[in-house]
Amino acid sequence: MAGISTHVLDTDRGRPAAGIRIDFSVLEGETWRLVKSVVTNADGRTDQPILAPDEARIGQYQLAFHVDDYFRDRPGTAEADIFIDNPVVRFAIFDPAQHYHVPMLCAPGSFTTYRGS
Amino acid sequence: MAAAAGGALAQAGPTPSTGSGKPAPLTSAPASQAGLGPRLTLHAIDNFHGTPAAGMVCELAWRAGDSLTPIRTVTTGANGRPAEPLLTDAALRVGHYELLLHLGAYFAARGVSLPSPNFFDRVPIRFRIRDAGQRHHLPVLFTPWGYSYYRGS
Repeated sequence: MAGISTHVLDTDRGRPAAGIRIDFSVLEGETWRLVKSVVTNADGRTDQPILAPDEARIGQYQLAFHVDDYFRDRPGTAEADIFIDNPVVRFAIFDPAQHYHVPMLCAPGSFTTYRGS
Repeated sequence: MAAAAGGALAQAGPTPSTGSGKPAPLTSAPASQAGLGPRLTLHAIDNFHGTPAAGMVCELAWRAGDSLTPIRTVTTGANGRPAEPLLTDAALRVGHYELLLHLGAYFAARGVSLPSPNFFDRVPIRFRIRDAGQRHHLPVLFTPWGYSYYRGS
């Protein structure tokens, strides 16, 4: 299946990060146009694909993960320890026939992303 | 590098404690940084080649929402670090920052065969300085297909 999907994990706690707002944007010219905002479910995923297979086009895309509120509201987290700052991931679809799974692994002090499957 | 073993040993020992059960503020440091003032330092590691990332262009900016105010542009040296800290002392201010890594150009310059457009080209690293009195070390580990960053020491 082509398109874009994501998965947000709290590696500090070893569990999915639920309730994270993700803003999905596409680069048009030099401007990022917001396509939609979604919220992660209890599994840290989105109920619908970020981008459906038939909508996939070659281009530049962006996922903005609003984790600040999540960490602030998390019991036992000192706000002073939150170093990552609502991170964004920018990546390209270079072949619309392929699927792009872009997970985001985070803790207050660290961030990881990669092309998953 | 002769001092490396001694430096590592100098870091061993119990974590400083405030007595409240919480870790103390980050004031301890490797011996090589002892006595240095607040600063923001960068270390870029190329996990694809297993080497420090030499010659990567990185643009540092203040960030307000999606609006960026450029601070400086640096190029990493042979050890994966810019010649100077990104910010020191009074220039290190509380706030939101973005470091833009020219990752696509870095791998292209090394002849790595990548798709076009590359999966990752210019990679934004967003982080926040909340206490300008502390040292902040920013390691970035990357390949053409993934990257990590974290608050180091």
